Amino acid sequence: MVHRALAHKSTDDVAIAVTDLKAGEELLVESLEGGQPCWVRVLEDIPLGHKIALRDLPEGHVVIEYGEKIGRTTQAVRKGAWVHVHNLRTLRWDYGDGAKGGR
Amino acid sequence: MLGHAPPLTGYRRPDGRVGVRNHVLVLPVDDLSNTAALGVARLVAGTVPLPHPYGRLQFGKDLELTFRTLSGHGANPNVYGVVVIGIEPRWTERVASAIAQSGKPVETFSIERHGDLNVINAASRAAYRLVQEASEQRREPIQASELVVSIKCGESDPTLGLAGNKALGRVVDRLVDMGASVIFGETSELTGGEHLIAERCATPALRQRFLELYNAYIALIEAQGVDLLGSQPTEGNIRGGLSTIEEKALGNIQKTGTRPVSAVVDYAEEVRPGQGLVFMNSSSAGAEQVTLCAAGGSVLHFFTTGQGNIVGHPLIPVIKISPNPLTCETMGEHIDVKLPDLLVGEIGLEEAAERIWEVFARTVNGRLTAAELLKHQEFVLTKLYPSA
Repeated sequence: MVHRALAHKSTDDVAIAVTDLKAGEELLVESLEGGQPCWVRVLEDIPLGHKIALRDLPEGHVVIEYGEKIGRTTQAVRKGAWVHVHNLRTLRWDYGDGAKGGR
Repeated sequence: MLGHAPPLTGYRRPDGRVGVRNHVLVLPVDDLSNTAALGVARLVAGTVPLPHPYGRLQFGKDLELTFRTLSGHGANPNVYGVVVIGIEPRWTERVASAIAQSGKPVETFSIERHGDLNVINAASRAAYRLVQEASEQRREPIQASELVVSIKCGESDPTLGLAGNKALGRVVDRLVDMGASVIFGETSELTGGEHLIAERCATPALRQRFLELYNAYIALIEAQGVDLLGSQPTEGNIRGGLSTIEEKALGNIQKTGTRPVSAVVDYAEEVRPGQGLVFMNSSSAGAEQVTLCAAGGSVLHFFTTGQGNIVGHPLIPVIKISPNPLTCETMGEHIDVKLPDLLVGEIGLEEAAERIWEVFARTVNGRLTAAELLKHQEFVLTKLYPSA
C-alpha cells in the first residue's frame, strides 16, 4: 500500500509528507507502529519531508513526534496545517528573541 | 536478510585486523609536508596522499588528537603500508612509530637538511616498493565479526527518520548481533534524544562517561555565548523539513538501531572488533566525523542522506543511502542504495535492510562506491582550539 503522509506513532501530533501535498487533499495518515489511522484535510501546500498537524495545536503546545518532545508551537496551528520553523521552536536554548544569540 | 548477499572477503593485516581496501598511504605529518606528499602521489600509481592544514605549533590535547588521527589513518586496516613525510625528524618518527605498532611496513622521511626534491625521490622509491608488495596481497574469506564500521547521516530531513535511518538501524542491529563493532557519534546532534542514548548505555559507568562527553560538548558551545539555532538544524535540514534540533536528533538516532551502547570513546580513539555499538565523541560535520571514525579503525562507513550529502573519504568506502525520491532523481550518481519505495510503503523495512546489506557485502568485496567513483576524498582533522 502506498501512503502520502506517515506518522511515527499513532499518538504523535504531526505526520511527515512522503510526497508533495496540495491544499484541499483529504489524506488517510497511517503510523509506522500501526494503530488507528486518521483522516486529515490538507490546509496548505506542504512539501515532501515536511510536517502536517494531525490535530489542532494551541499556542505553546509541546509537539510530540517519535513519541518524544520536538519543540513548542509559537502560535496556534490548525489540523491539516504545515508545521515548521514559522510556528515551531526548539525547547533547548529557549532564550527568546534578541537574547544570547536567539533570533 | 542475507539471501542475495555474497560471502565477505578482506585483507588480513599483521595485527590481526581486517581491511576491505588495500591502499598505500603517503602521510604528511604537517601542513608544510603536503607538497612532498602530493609529489610522491603524482609519481607512484596506487598511492593515496592525505594533505591537511595542521600539525605545526599545536599543543596539549589538540596536538595529541592530530597525532592520533594521523597515526590512526596509518594503522587503519584498509592500509597496507605507509610513507610518512614530515618537516623535522622527531615528530615524523613519533607518528611513524605509532603506526608501526600495527606491524605494517612504515618508512619515514624528513625534509629539514634534505629538501623536497631529495625527499620526493627517496619517498617515491619507498612508495614504489610498497605498492608493488601491496599489489600481491590477496583477499581472504572474513567474518562480519572481524569488521569495525561506522555510521552517520548528513543533509538530513524527516525522510531519514521515517525510512533511511530506520532501515540502516536494522542493519546495525544485525552487525552488532554478528559481533561487529559499529561506531556512531555526532555529539551535538543527539540533543533532544541524548536521554534515549543514555538509557541504552550498557552499564552505569558508560552512561556517566557518555553524559560527561555530551554535557562537555554542549558547555563548549554555550561558552561561546550562543546557541545552535541557525546551525543545528542547518539551512539544508530546514529546507528539507526539519524544524528543531530535537526532531533532527530523534531522526538521527533511528539509525543506531536498538542494541545497547557497549562502549564510549573520545575523538579518534581506537575501536576493536567485538565491541558492539560504540559511541565516539565527534563533530556532526560529515567529513570530520568520517575522518575520526576512520582514525578509530573503521573500514567502511554507512551514510544516510535526505537532501544529498556527497561526502567520501580517501581510505574507507562510504555507502550512501537515501529514501528521498527528489535526491535519488537529481543526485542519483551519489547514492548507492535508493529507498524511495520504502518511504511510501511499497517495500518494508526488512526488504530495505536486505538491499543495504547486499550493497554492503559487495562493497566489502571491492565494489566501488559512488563516493569512490566520484573521487570524494574528504579528510578533515578536528581542531580543538587555536595553535600556539
